[in-house]
Amino acid sequence: MMRRSRQAGVGALFLLLSATNAKAHILGARLGDFYAGAAHPLTDLKDVTLWVALGMLAGSLGAKQTRPLLLLFPFGLAIGVTSAMALNVTSEGALFAAGALVLLGALLAAAAPIPVVALGGFALVLAMMRGAANAAAIGPETNRLLFVAGLSAAGYVVVTLVSAATLAFRGEMADARAWRSIAIRALGSWLAALGLMMGGLALAS
Amino acid sequence: MSSRLRLFVTVALTGVALASPALAHDGEGVTGGLTSGFLHPLTGVDHLVAMIAVGLWGAQLGAPAIFLLPIAFPLVMALGGVLGVLHIPLPAPEMMIALSALLLGAAVAMRVRPPVVVAALIVALFAIFHGHAHGAELPGAADPMAYGVGFVTATGLLHGFGILTGALSRWPLGARVIQGLGASIALLGGYFLFLGAGVAG
Repeated sequence: MMRRSRQAGVGALFLLLSATNAKAHILGARLGDFYAGAAHPLTDLKDVTLWVALGMLAGSLGAKQTRPLLLLFPFGLAIGVTSAMALNVTSEGALFAAGALVLLGALLAAAAPIPVVALGGFALVLAMMRGAANAAAIGPETNRLLFVAGLSAAGYVVVTLVSAATLAFRGEMADARAWRSIAIRALGSWLAALGLMMGGLALAS
Repeated sequence: MSSRLRLFVTVALTGVALASPALAHDGEGVTGGLTSGFLHPLTGVDHLVAMIAVGLWGAQLGAPAIFLLPIAFPLVMALGGVLGVLHIPLPAPEMMIALSALLLGAAVAMRVRPPVVVAALIVALFAIFHGHAHGAELPGAADPMAYGVGFVTATGLLHGFGILTGALSRWPLGARVIQGLGASIALLGGYFLFLGAGVAG
């Protein structure tokens, strides 16, 4: 039975990987902006690294710290992008993004205990800033509601998956000196290092 | 071959066979930056051997150096990277990188065991020069962010490789092999140092 389900799994994977675009015009006509909103941050490493860093930090702290984030983060993205559209203000926020990455990475590397409220507040601010930065991709013909929904959905999915993966990797009762915790902390230092260099680059340009 | 391994190989081969371009709107720059950043520490032999020596030395020194090192090193190196990005000059960076390979390799070869703070300071000093060399090239990369991701990842993996190899030092024969590796790294560092000084080559 196990072998059969495994074979079925491999078969399904084959089909998924070999799938090509359906080119259904209804998607492009009606839901295209949802996918544009979801895909835009994922094609920019700045957003991807920040979201991954936040998810890893939450996951490394435990399930209790992660739960509020799953609602706050997509909500913050929606607020940020909507506010930027309403005020007609767009900003790349490169220096803020670099600083946020340094902070997230350093907290992760230090394995610092962070209260739920502080983490939630930081996640909300970060999401609002990145939401505002993504508003630059919205043109006059873009369906704004779909774009916002797509962006928030992408944020929710990324943060949920990364925090869940981190939590599963480190285990519920993590020992700070166990190799899994050390690996997560080392990744945190990589992220902080990246943030430092991006900050330098933002200052230089 | 176990059924689990067979399944893994099948899935991996499937993925490779069916891979296609990502088609992200700025994909070309990101791909180029990632590749260039990832390959940069691997193609510079002086940097490569010095990073492996850091991992080997950490493994020889044991706890806490073995886990403090891979956490602290990238951060210190990034500080050097910022100096490079901002074009703040450091004295003879290439010579210092060669010197780092020479001294770190020699430390591994001779099993030098200074206090952790001293070892950390030595490694941190060299890390700044290694970071500076990478940082100076960062703004010209196809995609600076992707370049940074690639280079930090490659450097971290080199440390990891050094630490894993250094685990051999638990056994007497393995310890000799590690010392031999250290001596080879020191010789390479010496060669690069002479090359930089215009004595050799």
